Amino acid sequence: MTSGERPVSPGETAVELRGITKRFPGVVANHDVDLTVRRGTVHAVVGENGAGKSTLMKILYGMQAPDEGMIAIDGETVRLGSPAEAIAHGIGMVHQHFMLAGNLTVLENVVLGAEKAHGIGAAARRRIMEISDAYGLDVQPDRLVAEQGVGQLQRVEILKVLYRGARTLILDEPTAVLVPQEVDKLFGNLRELKREGLTVIFISHKLDEVLSVADEITVMRQGTTVASVDPAGTSARELATLMVGGELPVPELRESTVTDTPVLDVRGLTVRTDEGRAVVSDVTFTIHEGEILGIAGVEGNGQAELIEALMGVRQPESGGIRLGERDIASWPTKRRREAGIGYIPEDRHRQGLLLESPLWENRILGHQGEFAPRGVLRLGRARADTRRIVDSYDVRTPGIGVDVDALSGGNQQKLIVGREMSGTPRVLIAAHPTRGVDVGAQAAIWEHLRAARADGLAVLLISADLDELIGMSDTLRVIYRGELVAELDPASVTPEDLGSAMTGARPEAPEAPDSPDRPDRPDGPEAAGGDAGEDTKDA
Amino acid sequence: MRRVASSGLALSVTAAFIALVFAALVTVGVLIVTGYPPVQTIEQMVTYGSEPDSVVNTINRATTFFLSAIAVAIGFQMKLFNIGVDGQYRLAAFLAAAAGGSAFVAGLPPGLQQLVIIVVAMLVGGVWAGIAGVLKVTRGVSEVISTIMLNFIGGGVISYLLSPGRLAIREGNNLTTRPIGPDGQVPGIPFPDANFAVYGLIVLAIVVGFLYHAGVRRTRFGFDLRATGLSAPAALASGVDVRRMTVAAMLLSGLVAGLVGIPQLLGDAHRFALDFPVGIGFTGIAIALLGRNNALGIALSALLFAFLTESAQILDLNEIPKEIVTITQAVVVLSVVVVYEVVHRFGVRIQRQAVGRQLATAEGGAAA
Repeated sequence: MTSGERPVSPGETAVELRGITKRFPGVVANHDVDLTVRRGTVHAVVGENGAGKSTLMKILYGMQAPDEGMIAIDGETVRLGSPAEAIAHGIGMVHQHFMLAGNLTVLENVVLGAEKAHGIGAAARRRIMEISDAYGLDVQPDRLVAEQGVGQLQRVEILKVLYRGARTLILDEPTAVLVPQEVDKLFGNLRELKREGLTVIFISHKLDEVLSVADEITVMRQGTTVASVDPAGTSARELATLMVGGELPVPELRESTVTDTPVLDVRGLTVRTDEGRAVVSDVTFTIHEGEILGIAGVEGNGQAELIEALMGVRQPESGGIRLGERDIASWPTKRRREAGIGYIPEDRHRQGLLLESPLWENRILGHQGEFAPRGVLRLGRARADTRRIVDSYDVRTPGIGVDVDALSGGNQQKLIVGREMSGTPRVLIAAHPTRGVDVGAQAAIWEHLRAARADGLAVLLISADLDELIGMSDTLRVIYRGELVAELDPASVTPEDLGSAMTGARPEAPEAPDSPDRPDRPDGPEAAGGDAGEDTKDA
Repeated sequence: MRRVASSGLALSVTAAFIALVFAALVTVGVLIVTGYPPVQTIEQMVTYGSEPDSVVNTINRATTFFLSAIAVAIGFQMKLFNIGVDGQYRLAAFLAAAAGGSAFVAGLPPGLQQLVIIVVAMLVGGVWAGIAGVLKVTRGVSEVISTIMLNFIGGGVISYLLSPGRLAIREGNNLTTRPIGPDGQVPGIPFPDANFAVYGLIVLAIVVGFLYHAGVRRTRFGFDLRATGLSAPAALASGVDVRRMTVAAMLLSGLVAGLVGIPQLLGDAHRFALDFPVGIGFTGIAIALLGRNNALGIALSALLFAFLTESAQILDLNEIPKEIVTITQAVVVLSVVVVYEVVHRFGVRIQRQAVGRQLATAEGGAAA
């Protein structure tokens, strides 16, 4: 609480990071990171998923120790061994996922663990109201947390951090959970904080938000800080270029390999939640041999349910699914997989891997039939084939007996892709096949997809990376609130158009007045992603 | 590469060893604090425990412990907590004994009699555990709750049926099922210089152990079982019918649990009476934990527990409370759980470092 008494003089350096390097097995999460945050400003840190933003913030909040580098707070070099030490130096963190106890009141949540500061009674209440009024946080101390909306809860989290004496607040993707009005309110709060001399570090990948609220922007790419820019002198397009760098591999298909032979034929598929809400409604499409069908959509618009219904993990209410000539709608997952449907699940840790098992056991997962034709596992065959995948998909591992857990995310993904493309599947259902993998692996996975497509594989591709979708799809459809609402030509569509189609805007009217899109927005996916995601939540 | 992979086994053995040393130290400490000479006490136990009769008893106890722990371990593979082994084996032994003593079974040729008794026991155990499995997948009842409730219900069923006019006869002060005739018994294996024989059905326990090991490690069913235990969503996505596996695992666990009382029933007691042993199901949980669900580990742990229980018999005669041994057993289990966790984390760290190092050199080499 030492910094609380310091005189506030805006403009001087509040937080300085120099040469921060953090290594994890197989990956360098941060290297040579330099960051200077001036007091009384909102400082945005932007970068793609996996660029190292979260690791950096965990280092600043004392959750992880850097391997190299220096941290200075208010000009004084510090060592932050734990969040408690970070808080003592006036650094607080508002997590993306709220850490609140639902069955306690706001007051109780705020004082929990900070009872020493102002007790738990009238003094604490007074202090809470003071903070709330000073920054316009508008919290009601006696309401139960469980009864409140996300916007209010976020303000409670901010208050919690301020109550503990924080002068610098780290907000990790704070707008991800908010609807637009709440985003505006949050930005209002941030300006209040700034006016009172507090410092805000704002982590985001939504460029339009960053441009509207930040005083300074630091861009991270592949684990390091690549630029510091003034929002007044930049555009979202420029920022996006900085974020991804210039030399990214380009997803593209060469000549068309699409044939007339339908492989996966889906008719009128409808999936309802247990509450009866239709999350996939009346979806119809056909994928032919050698065709990649891309489905674009903001996350949470029914993609997960559609995939699960196709895999037989979730029971659809109605609709037909045909694999070649056979009706597979009533088949269990096992039979569908054995009939030649490969599956790259959306959440590899939950659905794609046994983290505490060695690589070769993970090779068997989902292909039990192949390695145990008569019920008895062929361990030698599994090991040999795992070695083949490790070699041809460049999985970086010391051996196939290592637990998958020890590999980096990109290498885990390469193992999954290699596994699911083995045994000449007829259909591949690929959800975010290159999510979280490094640039080289991304190019390799695309190349494998192209090769398999040329051999007649039918692919259903779901991705949040619009460039990947546009570049890798023969046919491109848009899913919105569970319905396939548009079909676009991947040869001519731009990410901007696709982004607005994903928000439900009709492609026939690209310049619709109510379009939330901004003309200069280069990264449609994420920016649009936020907007439309909130729309669906609103509904 | 090999070192990274094989460190798992080495770490497990180290962990068990640390836990045992720790438990021994605690026992010595308890002995000192309560005023008994530790060295002498342990000497007495070892001397008594290595007498031929004690060795036979230890082996026989270990046989039942082993079966019980295997039953528990089958559930553990899927993260199912079958704490109802106790009720399952008691009900199974009781009904199997009643069947074995019945006129119908007594009329069957020898060989078939034993087979019928064993099958009845397995079926009863399987059904009793299967109820919990079905309740779990259809009604979402936690198997922990339902199996422990079924223990009580099983106890009640036994009390009700174990009365004259139902399935029991009175023998002095004791209520017991009709004894199984000589044609239905399993002869023991003689042991040098011992007054008792080793249960003949130790062979059955060994077979069960091999089947368990091979089944879990080498079959598709075992793979599905372990996959479900490690990550149910991943198992589901891989095509495993998780609900069916839950019922199957509980059934199998119950089938083995049904066998727990059988070596003693057919080898020694020949009847189910009020004094039939209780609590082996709970000992089995401890042994499965200590043995890390590994057949060999469970066998060694079962022998250790049996030895401790057996050699503790001497303590009472020397006016040392034999509950000391219960403390030892409890400390072993508690420390083994803690030590395994610590060692596991250590192992994960080593493995990650090994992966990191390997890749660092690989990349360094590529760059250079």
